[in-house]
Amino acid sequence: MAAMAPLPVPASVVKQAEQLKQDGNSYFKKERLGAAIDAYTEAITLCPNVAIYWTNRALCYRKRNEWNKVEEDCRRAIQLDSNSVKAHYMLGLALLQKHDYSGGIKELEKALELGRGANPASYMVEEIWQVLARAKYMEWEDSSSKRAPRLQNLREVCEKAFLNYYSIDASEAEDGPKENDHSQQLECLHEVFNKAAQADTPSEVPDHLCCKITLDIFRDPVITPSGITYERAVLLDHLQRVGRFDPVTREPLDPHQLVPNLAIKEAVQAFLSEHAWAYKIS
Amino acid sequence: MTSSSAPSKKVLSKIASNRLQKELKEWQANPPAGFKQKATDNLQRWIIEVVGASGTLYANETYQLQVDFPEHYPMEAPQVIFLHPAPLHPHVYSNGHICLDILYDSWSPAMTVSSVCISILSMLSSSTVKQRPDDNDRYVKNCKNGRSPKETRWWFHDDKV
Repeated sequence: MAAMAPLPVPASVVKQAEQLKQDGNSYFKKERLGAAIDAYTEAITLCPNVAIYWTNRALCYRKRNEWNKVEEDCRRAIQLDSNSVKAHYMLGLALLQKHDYSGGIKELEKALELGRGANPASYMVEEIWQVLARAKYMEWEDSSSKRAPRLQNLREVCEKAFLNYYSIDASEAEDGPKENDHSQQLECLHEVFNKAAQADTPSEVPDHLCCKITLDIFRDPVITPSGITYERAVLLDHLQRVGRFDPVTREPLDPHQLVPNLAIKEAVQAFLSEHAWAYKIS
Repeated sequence: MTSSSAPSKKVLSKIASNRLQKELKEWQANPPAGFKQKATDNLQRWIIEVVGASGTLYANETYQLQVDFPEHYPMEAPQVIFLHPAPLHPHVYSNGHICLDILYDSWSPAMTVSSVCISILSMLSSSTVKQRPDDNDRYVKNCKNGRSPKETRWWFHDDKV
């Protein structure tokens, strides 16, 4: 498909397809999804190489929860334009619907990266981030729900094996078993398993990774001249609504003095990759 | 004080309810010494019991604080008043209103229910006389229509009581 040379399309046809897209858009706005899909389909028939026609139609399918069709259209759109934020985003959504978490996350990450490059403050970026966070949480939930019983099972097997091993040992050694050693070892075994389970259990995010205002894990941390780090959006809100001062130190503070805190941002990334449960956002 | 927020009946914003849930969790795990929050399912209004610190004029006396959170908490201060009977204190009016700068002009979103409670207890603890503010009667009469303390144009009393 990719190797096929694009046929030259007459200008009149291009224009007609554009008109059909406009029609589709206005149907879409009026929630007339069937009519919109027909219009985009006609546009695609005339000019199959325009990625936007495919993503617009995918948007209609998305509203109708026809996720297989969303996936198909988005994959076509990506072939035509690998930088389409919408195509990667909706493909990600479609894959999540199929419980393909890792595939969905990959697409959403791509969409986020492209979206941030184009317009870091757009509502799309915020929306994609939220979906991505939810997806990572779901992926964690899914994998940890499988891990937990496996670990429990292994624990029981190990404990049984441990006891068997020492009962044989005790019958062989005439001068009595070293009870103390055994119970210490058994305790050690419990500890190892408890630690493994703990690492996979939601707990608290460390304070130094949380904003003093939102009390939530950082996403876009900025540092003030006082050395305090805050979540950018809420700090800007504070400066606008409450006053031009650092909320903790009360030193005068102006928006232009804020600097991204990249070290904390990396620390948050590192923490999240180890503790995906922390993606849970209410 | 120019704040227009009467005890806001508006629902909490997403940021506000998210933050309050976290504060509540932290409070339950780690309540500030001398305070007890009465369990309710209303995130927007907390009732907190405070016991006067030993060695102060209010030792062993128990009072109740009512904390109401506005829609845009913590960008706006919570409204904090004593429920009846309010402690006899030079900064506490008989209707429960508290003259404390951090509740009004000096509020900062980095403060929490817990830090506000500690400030109020320290205000009680540092008092050397048990009496109402000089302008108590006038003030309380002015508040008859159920005015919020956040609408008061506060003229802060001396910090040192």
